[in-house]
Amino acid sequence: MSSFTKSAQQWATFARSWYLIDARMQPPGKIATMCSVRLQGKHKPIYHATSDCGDHVVVMNTRHIAFSGNKWEQKVYSSHTGYPGGFKQVTAAQLHQKDPKAIVKLAIYGMLPRNLLRRTMMQRLHLFPDDDLPEDILCNLAEELPQPRKIPRKLSEYTQEERDAFPMIWVPPEDFRMK
Amino acid sequence: MTARGTPSRFLQSVLRNGVGRYVCQLKRIVLIFSQKGPGSLGAREFIENGVVDFARKNPGTVIYVSPQPVQVAKVVAEYLNGTVREETVNKKSPQEIGELLKKLSTQSGLDIIRIRKPFHTDSPSIQGQWHPFVNRPATMGVIRPQGKQVQ
Repeated sequence: MSSFTKSAQQWATFARSWYLIDARMQPPGKIATMCSVRLQGKHKPIYHATSDCGDHVVVMNTRHIAFSGNKWEQKVYSSHTGYPGGFKQVTAAQLHQKDPKAIVKLAIYGMLPRNLLRRTMMQRLHLFPDDDLPEDILCNLAEELPQPRKIPRKLSEYTQEERDAFPMIWVPPEDFRMK
Repeated sequence: MTARGTPSRFLQSVLRNGVGRYVCQLKRIVLIFSQKGPGSLGAREFIENGVVDFARKNPGTVIYVSPQPVQVAKVVAEYLNGTVREETVNKKSPQEIGELLKKLSTQSGLDIIRIRKPFHTDSPSIQGQWHPFVNRPATMGVIRPQGKQVQ
C-alpha cells in the first residue's frame, strides 16, 4: 500500500464499510453493543468523535432474536404520546409482535452517544426482520461479523449415537415405574 | 490581516539540507554604507572590526563591501534559491549588525510567512497506514445471508 498516491491512501483509510450481522437466536443487547461500536467508528484506529468515521451495519433476522430469562414478559417499553392520559407501556413481547425491528432499534439507539450525531448513525443502521435483503444492500456488504452467542443445539439436533454416548448418572431398575 | 488572508506554507527545508551535508544557503551579502554619513557609523565600525571574522566563519558566503553616497546604510542578503532580503542597518551598533548577519547566515531563503505546522515528516507511517482491510479476516466469495438454519 505504500505505492498509493496520497489521495488514494486517504480514500482507502477513510472509506466507509458495510457490515452484516445475523441476529437469529442472539440477545438483542449484545447485538446492539456490536452495532453501536461500528456505527460510531470506535473499531477503527483513526476514530475521532467529530470525524464522521462510522460504518454501515445491516442486521438481519431481527424477528428471531432471543431474550434471556423472562424478559419477553417482564421487560417494559414505555412511551408517552404527549397528550394527557397518553402514557403507554407495552411488554417486549407485545412490542415485538407489533414491530419486529423495534427492540433492536431501541437497544442500539440507547447505546449510541447522546448527541446530534446519533440520528446520523441511526440512518446508517439497516434492520431487516428476516433474511431477505434487497439487492443493492447485498452488493455493498464487506464483512459478516461472528455471532456473539453460541447457539445451543436442540435435542432433535443430536444424533442417536451422541445421545447413546451421553453418560447416564443413574440407571433405573427393571421394576421401576415412571410417573 | 488574519492567518487565512495572508499566505502560509508548510515546514520544509531546501532539498533536504542537513540530512547529508549541510550547505549554507546564504550566497551573498552586500554591505552598503556611506563613508561620511552618521547613520553608517555602526556599519563602518563593523567593517573595521567584525566583517573579516564573519567572512572567515562563513566560507560559502561572498561578502561585498560597497561604500556609496547613501543616506541609509543597508545589508542585502541573497540566498541560493534566489530570495533577496534587504535589511536596513542605519543607526545600529556593530554588535547588532553582527547578530543580524549571524541570523541571516542561518536562514534558508524560504519565505518568512506563517508556517502551518511546526513539524514535517517524509515518512508519516512506518508499518503502513491503516485501511479497512488491515486485520480483516479473508472471506470466501461474496457475503450473502446463508439459509443454513437447522430445524
